Amino acid sequence: MLKVSEVVAGYQAGSRVLDGFSMHVRPGEIVALLGRNGMGKTTFLKALMGHVAVSGGSLSLDGEEIGGLKPYEVARRGVGYVPQGREIFPDFTVEENLLMGLLGRPELPSEVPDWAFEIFPILHERRKQRGGSMSGGQQQQLAIVRALVGRPKLLLLDEPSEGIQPNIVQEIGHVLSRIARDEGLTVLLVEQNMELVLGMAQRCLFMENGAIAYETDEVQKLRTDPAPIHRYLSV
Amino acid sequence: MNFAIGLGLDTLSFSLSLLLVSLGLVIIFGLMNVINMAHGEFFLLGAYSVVAVQQLQLPYWAALIVAPIALALVGLVLEQLIIRHVYHRFIDTILATWGISIVLKQLIIIGFGPTSQSIVNPLPEPVHILGVVYPSFRLFIMGAALAVSIATFWVFYRSNLGLAIRGVIANRAMAASLGLNTRRMDRWTFAFGAALAGFAGAVMAPIMSVDPQMGGGFLIPAFLSIMVGGVSHLFGVVLGVGLIGSTSTVISSLDTQLAAQIAVFLLAIVIIRLWPEGLITRKR
Amino acid sequence: MMNTRYLGVGLTVAVWAGLMAVPLFADEWSVSQLGQYVTYGILAMSLSFIWGQVGILCFGQAIFFGLGGYLMGLTTLERFTWFGGSQTAGLLLATLGPALAAYILGKLLFVGRGLSGAFFAIVTLCAAFIVEISAQHIDFIGGFDGLLGVPPLMASWRAGDDMLSTNETFYVVLASALLIYLAVLFIQRSPLGVVLAAIRNNDERTASFGYRTTDYKVLAFTISGAMAGYAGALFTAQFGFVSPAVIGTALSTEVLIWVAVGGRAVLMAAFLGVVLVRSVESFLSSALGPYWLLTLGGFFVLTVVVMPEGIFGRLLRLPLPKAWRSARAGRATEPGQDPLGMRRTPDST
Repeated sequence: MLKVSEVVAGYQAGSRVLDGFSMHVRPGEIVALLGRNGMGKTTFLKALMGHVAVSGGSLSLDGEEIGGLKPYEVARRGVGYVPQGREIFPDFTVEENLLMGLLGRPELPSEVPDWAFEIFPILHERRKQRGGSMSGGQQQQLAIVRALVGRPKLLLLDEPSEGIQPNIVQEIGHVLSRIARDEGLTVLLVEQNMELVLGMAQRCLFMENGAIAYETDEVQKLRTDPAPIHRYLSV
Repeated sequence: MNFAIGLGLDTLSFSLSLLLVSLGLVIIFGLMNVINMAHGEFFLLGAYSVVAVQQLQLPYWAALIVAPIALALVGLVLEQLIIRHVYHRFIDTILATWGISIVLKQLIIIGFGPTSQSIVNPLPEPVHILGVVYPSFRLFIMGAALAVSIATFWVFYRSNLGLAIRGVIANRAMAASLGLNTRRMDRWTFAFGAALAGFAGAVMAPIMSVDPQMGGGFLIPAFLSIMVGGVSHLFGVVLGVGLIGSTSTVISSLDTQLAAQIAVFLLAIVIIRLWPEGLITRKR
Repeated sequence: MMNTRYLGVGLTVAVWAGLMAVPLFADEWSVSQLGQYVTYGILAMSLSFIWGQVGILCFGQAIFFGLGGYLMGLTTLERFTWFGGSQTAGLLLATLGPALAAYILGKLLFVGRGLSGAFFAIVTLCAAFIVEISAQHIDFIGGFDGLLGVPPLMASWRAGDDMLSTNETFYVVLASALLIYLAVLFIQRSPLGVVLAAIRNNDERTASFGYRTTDYKVLAFTISGAMAGYAGALFTAQFGFVSPAVIGTALSTEVLIWVAVGGRAVLMAAFLGVVLVRSVESFLSSALGPYWLLTLGGFFVLTVVVMPEGIFGRLLRLPLPKAWRSARAGRATEPGQDPLGMRRTPDST
């Protein structure tokens, strides 16, 4: 579904945070992209979404080249984005936040469907409350459902477990795995923390200096043989 | 007593028209971070559309439709051609829009001449209200300004479109990532702000001296109102306009226009010194 | 790139040399016109300093110019009975008075964050308007007509009450301009100048380094006011009058156009902006008639959008001082831009 070849990208002209980055994601897969700070993980997601300019290589989604598209154009092609820090709208209610996930998608009805409130029960409970009054974990759940209401085919998550209590991380992992399985959602997860990854991912890509350094689809083996984790994730 | 009522009505009518002008300005600023120095000229163009309508022997009321449409078009064109190139350079938006204001003013002078035009008052019969005799047209102005302002508030705070705009104001990058075409929203919001100013100009034309200099008379009070009131919430504008409008009207009836302008100026400086982000700021 | 680096220096020197040579071959009227342009050039430099260097947009720069003119006129016309009428006193007052006004205005207006830049611009526009109207109503300073018959510059070193000839006046004005130019250049390249540039680039970040940015802005604005005031004094002495038109919005906004068109960040460019716009103005306004102001406005918008550096900005850019150059060795950016690398991060709009 997603094919990335030799991408070169960076925040300023000429900078190569991503340097010959290549990877691919098959439909329905749950893939984790791992690496230390500064290796380019977030930059990749931003480049995918069109927030960072791509100076070389190609990004294609279901055969269509999306490098160079504006963020809203990428979103409308079925990419859901849950950025680092969640970026919910703190002054809007939970319901309004979810509605924002629909307003940019003219082909979908502008009303939040009931199932959106059933994915994480806390959202139903706090439907009319300001987003900013919720805890980090709850905001994360909100941000995820906000992306899901847009019915994406590819969901991007940037460090979803950062700063969130472990039981909510687990809940998120279960829910996303279930949705991926039931709806055929493709998930690309960027993480530094192995908890969520070990619970969800089918394939792990380890990133170093702007490119993939190691790849494995025997994720559970990482529990017993954590050498790659030590190599690519520890400081 | 009658004097007080008359003064109160005058304050209300000035403040409500100032509100119309200021609303457009604050929405443009809030969404696009553009200080639109040409806003006074949008008002001016609205007033001159009444002149044009009059010259074409059409009834005054046609101008209330022509003005906002014409100004929306002008706004779209200007945004597309000029504004969008400068709005990452904040100070330059002030200059570019001010340059546009010069051009627009000159176009009016070339098209209609530099002297003032007289507009026939479409509602010449005065009305008895609250015990005073008051020009009916001023009441119409208040009604129209109030209606349009309320409609704007409603769209902004109660409609999906308004939610989308507020979302873009809150977090542009995230809103774009959710699929919102922020550029198109910028363009149409600018057009809407221009249309508001144009409508205000058309509504005010019959009671003002319609000449090419009239834009400035509303631009500065509008800016000061926004700064005094704060840009986080539209109610800030209402408060700012209320303060500036009442100060201006009251003092200019007690003393000279100049004294009123100085008073407003000093008031604005004092308030902003004490509340640098305006009186109504975002609740944390 | 030896050539381009020193192009700015070469051109700058050429301009000054050229100006010095003008009285040798030009007629008296042209010299006095040029003297007017040079005087306005000082005003333009004062705006370029506060705008190009510090990033503060002032819509009321003529307030200080006019104030200086009025103070000079009032002094030399001996309206201040306790002062006497010496021109030195006049020049001094014309420099210090506006400096004080700028200081007060700066203290009042350089407030917190948020809209401060826009607030300042709009309030100065408002102030210019109010000052102009007020000046029209104050009889002590001549009301609507202003002060007339202001004595020209006198050669107090010569025996007798001798006024300076046109050429001599011109050289006094030119020398003033050159000295002011060099002084501002010196400031720009001093540690003070670096802080001011940092404030222009990112006020908040500079403040977070511990600099009291408000104090620096007030200082810069005071200096700018002093320069403009002095220029106003020279203006009044040359042309014998000062009126509310000289202190108001028309001139304030005109000087903005000169500086924007010429080049706001490069002093010499701002200076030449006046000369360009003024000389083209007299020709074009007779050719284009009512379309002149329209053309100027349109051209101004074009400059802001497409050539924010101004017409002369690129040409007259001076190379960075050596100390700064070595610190930036290897970086492929041009002199004059962002010496401390303090640019804001771009937003992804």
